Parts: sequence; structure tokens; C-alpha cells
Amino acid sequence: MALVKEAIKEAIKLIGYSFPKAEKIVIKPNMCYYWDYSTGQTTDPNFVAALIEILREEISPDIEISIIESDASAMKCKYAFKYLGYEKLAEEYNVNLINLSEVESEQVKVKVKDENFEFLLPKIIKNSDLRINVPKMKYMAFTKISCALKNIFGCNPYPKKFKYHRRLNETIVALNKIMPFELCILDGIIVYGSMTSKLGLVMASEDAVAMDAAAATIMGVNPKSVGHIVLAEREGLGSASFMTRGASLDYFKDKFPKRKLSDRAIEFGYKLVCALGLDKRLV
Amino acid sequence: MEKINLGIVGLGFIGKIHLKNCLKIKSVKVTAVADVSKKALKFAQELGVKQLFTDYHKLLDQPNINAVVVSLPTHLHASCAIEAAEKGKHIFLEKPLARNPKEGEKIISAARKNDVKLMVGYPFRFHPNFENLKKKIESGALGEIQVAHAVNIGAGPFFHRAEKVIPRPVPEWWFNKELSGGGALLDLGSHMINLTRWYFGEIRNIKAYLGYRFNFDFEDHAICIANFKSGTTAIINVGWFSQKTAVGIELFGTMGHLQSTYKSPSKAITAVQLILGKTPKFFIPYLKEISHFIDTIKEDADPMPSGNDALNDLKVIAKAYRSQVSL
Repeated sequence: MALVKEAIKEAIKLIGYSFPKAEKIVIKPNMCYYWDYSTGQTTDPNFVAALIEILREEISPDIEISIIESDASAMKCKYAFKYLGYEKLAEEYNVNLINLSEVESEQVKVKVKDENFEFLLPKIIKNSDLRINVPKMKYMAFTKISCALKNIFGCNPYPKKFKYHRRLNETIVALNKIMPFELCILDGIIVYGSMTSKLGLVMASEDAVAMDAAAATIMGVNPKSVGHIVLAEREGLGSASFMTRGASLDYFKDKFPKRKLSDRAIEFGYKLVCALGLDKRLV
Repeated sequence: MEKINLGIVGLGFIGKIHLKNCLKIKSVKVTAVADVSKKALKFAQELGVKQLFTDYHKLLDQPNINAVVVSLPTHLHASCAIEAAEKGKHIFLEKPLARNPKEGEKIISAARKNDVKLMVGYPFRFHPNFENLKKKIESGALGEIQVAHAVNIGAGPFFHRAEKVIPRPVPEWWFNKELSGGGALLDLGSHMINLTRWYFGEIRNIKAYLGYRFNFDFEDHAICIANFKSGTTAIINVGWFSQKTAVGIELFGTMGHLQSTYKSPSKAITAVQLILGKTPKFFIPYLKEISHFIDTIKEDADPMPSGNDALNDLKVIAKAYRSQVSL
């Protein structure tokens, strides 16, 4: 963990970020499903532990830290917190574990592409002094990639998230608009692309759009082809033009286990099967 | 003989496989299905099943049904199977027989009292690779099997489920030890204990080392060392901790060594076969076990694996739990 802690500190230093005075902090890891961190699909609790240590050293040992996640169509926080090791982490580090689907929220209106959307904003996020997004980087069928912007989709308290999949880009951008996170720190130590791989990447940014654009580039995806990155930039959430400091982006681009043509063919085939209504034949 | 009128109780992942398979058996008419999910019932209706029940008791009340396939959560096995026996239905019950030997004994007693067949679903017993291994052991070509290593590793109940691309949750009962009866040892260990008992006979003693990687009060992996009366020692290694499935058995005999594995077929090939209405390779052991069950009804023969066989598995597992050491 010492190495990870040093890497996080280094990444924060490289972007010239200084922690503000804060009493209440929320951390949003990626806990999308019961997939162990070693698969590269969920944020490593040890990564979050290292971040908690840094926050207590840099801000104050007395800050109140809450790790947040919400129930999803297939994942229930009460089980995911246990399975993914966050319950243990919360006990060990004396932090709160919050299921956003079970806490107080308020209805908030937001405009995206001149269209009105309404979402629930959890008060714990609204009332925090500092919000830190700790995403993973991975491919996703509906949005091409998932990274910082998509991770905030998990802050929507409504559990049946599949209902938003038809308007996923707009939903992601709307949620990022109502819940702006001040700092993004990517856990790219282990990643999942065409397979699981140790990438050893820690990336920090105050701009989720820039982080997503950089992550997409590493994954071999043109950021301009990712709907929610383009839309987020257009809506003023950040800039897809980025500049990197530290290790070269090409180093990670070469190392990232990129999706093969066969993976894309299977994904296309599956979408076609669904479009033709043949998916009901699949048990 | 007339067709066997069959009812299927429980249309989860395995229940749906049984339904599709049963529709292909000429001597079977799937008369009714029961499930609490209306979506599952619609799935059956689209396949041509006429009688649909959200309450399985109503299915069991149907006098025309001769036999039932029960693929319910483990805590419902005993109540459903006992009621089915009392109503004179032959029973094909998914493994494990029950949560514990006490419940298992009640099921067997009800089946015996009401003179109905009771078979427990262990599809590896009908898989050609494992059937061939049995023949090889019996032929003596490997000499005496001193050590066997049986493996069944996968994601268990935590595999990512989806229905028409909509992600589905892991059923709640899997997280409740009272309802499930146990963890990976009961779920996957029952397969490998049954298979090794088929190969080597009864187990004299067993020691279990249980692992809790995912911090629940049920084990997500287990390594057992089982000593058989025949002299064979088997290491039974099961777990729910991996996204990749590995099922197999390796035999080390005095005259030879042999390995047999079950390979998960490609998801893409399985999907294509399902879309074309063909039986995927993955379904075949399930089809064979149900066909065997139906044959035993028609021929008034004893099904294998029987309820007693599965009860012995539960007794071994109970012994293993009593001997447990945490990893």
C-alpha cells in the first residue's frame, strides 16, 4: 500500500492540486458489481485506504469521510460493501459507508442539450466540502468507455438504473452537472480491457472530462467518438483537450489490454440479436 | 405408454434449461410451470406451456401431472418435494437434496411412503467426459487410484446475470446462510463429492478448510481432504471466487494418470445454437439426466443419482462442516 500511497501523492502533486479545508468528504469508488478488485473492474479498497490516509495527513485527522455508492439493477450495496472489502475498510479506518439509495435526497432539475431532466441529489453529496471520484477505466457496451464521468452514474440513488440506459449520455452528463466532484483519482493499478492486466497507472485530474479523454486514448478509443465525453465538454463540464504530466501516456497506451476485433464482433452480434428481438431465445 | 405430464417448479437459470430440454423429450408433455416471476411464466408461455402458476401448490394440485422437476431455492426443496410426494408426483429435484441431512431424510421418507421416484440432479454424472472416466477407472487401466484432485471453481451465484440485456440481481437467498444451507462447499462441493463417491465409493472421513475471501458468514471456497473406504484420497477444491470456470478431476493411479475436464462452451457459440433452436452442448448433460428420470418412470426403475445417494452427499458435507478449519 505504501507504493500506491506514494503514487497517489505524486499524481496529486503533478496536477498542482492543494487540498482545501474540509470537514466532510465523500469518496466515490466504482463498486458496480460483485467483481473483486483483482478483476480490474472495481476500485481496490486498498487504493481508497491509501487515499484516506493522505486526506487525514494533508487536511486533518478529524475529517469525516464517507464512502458512497448506490444500489443498482444487479448490485445491492449491503452485499457489495462486504464482498468488495469496504465494510472491513470502514471498520479499520473509521469511515462511513453510505448507501445513497437509503439516505435523504432532494429532487433537482437540470438542463442538458436544452432538455430538462430531474434527478435525486443525495444530501450527503450536496453538503460535503470535498467530493473525490475514484473510478476505474474499462470498456462498456453502451458508452464505449467507463471512467470518471460514468462513475457518477452510481451516485444516482434510484436503484433500477437500467431505465436510464436509453438516454445514458444525457443521464451521465446531467448527474455530473448536479454533483460536480472536485477531484478525480483513477485507480488504474489493475485494469480490465480485453483481459485483466496490471497497468500500474494512477491518474489525477480536477477535470473529469479531461480524465475520461485521457483514459479513452489509453484504451485506444477516440474521445471524440465517446458520446458522453463530447456532450460533457459541450455542456461546460470540462475540456477533452488534455495535457499529461508524469509518465508518458504512450507507455500506458501500449500496455493497456485493448479490445480485440472478436470482442467487438460479439458485442455487435449481441446488439443485433437484441434489435431483432431474438434475445428471448437466450436462456 | 402415454406421455408423462410434467410440471416444472421454479424457472430460474437451471429451471429454464430444464424447461427447454423437457420440451424436446418426445415422451414428455410439459403441462404446467410455476414461478413467482411473471416474466418467467411469460417465457414458458411463449414456449407453448399452457398452465402457468405463481403458486407452486396449485401446480402440485393438478391431478393430471405425473412428475415434477423442482428447481427452487434450496430452503424450499423439502417443503415442495414432500408435498409433491404426498400428491403422488415423481420428483426430479435439483441438487443439493436439501440444506442438511435432517431435511433430506424427510424428503426421502415422503418419497418412499408415497411410492414415487426421487432423483437428484447431478449433471456431471451424465457428462461424457466424466462418464468415460468412470469406465476407465472400472477397466482397471489406471491401477488403483491413490489420489484424486477434483476441482469446481467459478463465480457461483455471483455470475453476472442479465435478462434481455437488463442486469438481474443475485437472488437474496444466496446471501442468507439459513436459506441456502451453506456456501461453496454445499453448492459446488456437492457436485464433486457426488462424483468422487460415484467413482470411489463411500467416504470414511473428511476434513474441510473453508475460506471467506468475500467476508460473508458462508464460505466462498473450500478445500476438503476426503479419505475413501477404498483407499483413495481425494482433494476436493471448490470456490466461488473466480470469474473463470474450471471443473475437472485428475486421477493418479498405480498404473496411470488421467485428467478429465468440463470446459465451459463459448458463450457466442451457445448463443448462436439457442437462437437457431438447437440444443447447446452445455444443455446436453441436463437433457440426459431428465431423460433418464423419465425412463425410470416409464420402466419403473430406480433413478440414479437417487435421493439416498444425494443424502449421503449431504451427510459427508455435514461432517465436513463439523471438521472445518478456516483458511
